Amino acid sequence: MQDLLYFFQQLVNGLTIGSTYALIAIGYTMVYGIIGMINFAHGEIYMIGAYTALITITGLATLGVTWLPLVLIVALICAMIVSSAMGWAVERVAYRPVRGRHRLIPLISAIGMSIFLQNYVHLAQGSRNIGFPALIHGGFTFGSSDTFQAQISYMQITIFITTLICMTALSVFISRSRTGRACRAVSQDLGMANLLGIDTNRIISATFVIGAALAAVAGLLLGMYYGSIDPLFGFIAGLKAFTAAVLGGIGSIPGAMLGGLILGVGESMTSGYLSGEYKDVVSFGLLILILLFKPTGLLGKPEVEKI
Amino acid sequence: MRISVKKLATAVSASVALMAAGQASAEIQIGIAGPMTGPVAQYGDMQFSGARMAIKRINENGGVMGEKLVGVEYDDVCDPKQAVTVANSLVNDGVRFVVGHLCSSSTQPASDIYEDEGVLMITPASTNPDITDRGYELVFRTIGLDSMQGPVAGNFIASQNPERVAIIHDKQQYGEGIATAVRDTLKEKGVDIAMFEGITAGAKDFSSLISKLKQADVDYVYYGGYHPELGLILRQAKQAGLDAQFMGPEGVGNKDINTIAGDAAEGLLVTLPPSFDQKSENQDLVKAFEDAGEDPTGPFVLTSYTAVQLIADGIEKADSTDPFDVAEALRSGSFDTPIGTVQYDKKGDLKSFDFVVYRWHSDGTKTPVK
Repeated sequence: MQDLLYFFQQLVNGLTIGSTYALIAIGYTMVYGIIGMINFAHGEIYMIGAYTALITITGLATLGVTWLPLVLIVALICAMIVSSAMGWAVERVAYRPVRGRHRLIPLISAIGMSIFLQNYVHLAQGSRNIGFPALIHGGFTFGSSDTFQAQISYMQITIFITTLICMTALSVFISRSRTGRACRAVSQDLGMANLLGIDTNRIISATFVIGAALAAVAGLLLGMYYGSIDPLFGFIAGLKAFTAAVLGGIGSIPGAMLGGLILGVGESMTSGYLSGEYKDVVSFGLLILILLFKPTGLLGKPEVEKI
Repeated sequence: MRISVKKLATAVSASVALMAAGQASAEIQIGIAGPMTGPVAQYGDMQFSGARMAIKRINENGGVMGEKLVGVEYDDVCDPKQAVTVANSLVNDGVRFVVGHLCSSSTQPASDIYEDEGVLMITPASTNPDITDRGYELVFRTIGLDSMQGPVAGNFIASQNPERVAIIHDKQQYGEGIATAVRDTLKEKGVDIAMFEGITAGAKDFSSLISKLKQADVDYVYYGGYHPELGLILRQAKQAGLDAQFMGPEGVGNKDINTIAGDAAEGLLVTLPPSFDQKSENQDLVKAFEDAGEDPTGPFVLTSYTAVQLIADGIEKADSTDPFDVAEALRSGSFDTPIGTVQYDKKGDLKSFDFVVYRWHSDGTKTPVK
């Protein structure tokens, strides 16, 4: 009984972390799906989202606003706005001028952008870990034995629900809306879409903005869940999300969701049953295996040469 | 393009002469190398403020052998790779005495370079035993060793009669070293160690680890590492309802753990060097720090102060600015310093250094436990 509870507890931990990986992974996968480049600055966008949320929460607290739903919604909106603007600006400054060149060039530009943003936040916010207020406390026990109680915290539930809402909204947007249809068209054939009168520049910008907004959501959620943020925490989260995107099949949105969940659960089971030391070994080992044996990922379509 | 060999030779000898002239000026450069930025920069602040104060006060009292001390500061971000770069540029700058580095993992690679290049190094904070274990001539410290701190923590835990103890570390030289020392002491005392496990420094999600600690039903958790990770573990453990006593080394004992962990930091046990700023003979010095608007209470402030003072005293005693003569003088002498009477053994370790167990509070203060 206890072993079963322990398993479920680790499953909950893994799904929580996995669903936030999925949120970040969407940004990688959408950009890749449309212009075939890896936006390595995406992890930094997520980090900036978390900082913006923290600054907003602190600001609201000094103004005396303490009603939790209001605080969360304002923080979320501010983080999404700033991150989206940042995603848009990054695309304009660092990627659009080099779009269509050799694949390596936008990649290097992206890495440069990532280093720039990291150091910018270092300078602006200091390099220390900053505590993030835990706004959502408590949880409920979903099963207990003599010595072990399996718990879901309200924070974890918040993460599940928010992720679910975001994912559903995104799927509806992509499959139903006009812009969504244009996105799909651009991802199938950028040149042809352009000929047919789709403003591809606008669609590409929109992709960056959507990815950044979702990353900001993840930034706020994870900031609250973990309890501290620092200018470097976007980097490792970015790598994990990138792994998730590749795992699920880069370019595929359901793939990113699936990849995120698998990675999260995999990590949590590794630290739960083996040792925390092997957590990153397993996630990046998984990346290598997928690249070796199924480079298109779990849900990816076989690659038709792009560009 | 062709450059005549003669011209090149002239240029090289001219620049060598220039460099030599730079060294011959009536100043003794003291390098201060530690983290000014990065996740453990607050320890660097302690180091820099202690060393600066020592340089200032020694200069006010006439300097060393009539020459002024000049502090040259370097930022190693507590990153081993950066530490090597810093050590090389320090050697290139002609600095021959260093107070640093801070993190053991930085001190170790940097000390290889200092030893090769004839630079005398005194670390005010690195406690890993390996650093002085390699028979180096120019490596000293003004702090104890993990092998002293570990047993203090281990004996304390054993004296509390815990049922099951978990030991977690961050897989880095400092954290794992100290965690191993604690484990060995506990084993000797026959305490049941339920877990000995590493985490990744910089990780943020400890939910799986905490579930595992709950499952193992431990009542004591020792963490070898620094505060950013332990702060998060404390906070996430409290949220998940893990009821265990946490303990850590001096790497977790600073006020930043409170901003991360909040209330969850209350009651944490920490082994720290004794509060040198409380000693009656240091009150003049403490006042000098306070007058300058600096905080003398951090664990590495006065050890850094002492490191500078020892370099100055060593130079006086050896009557030479040659690092090897100074090292010889330090090994043979006995010095009165703010951290007590300093005597070195052959390896460059202090002959005696105490660690004390403190209980940490959520307002950032600490009280001794006995």
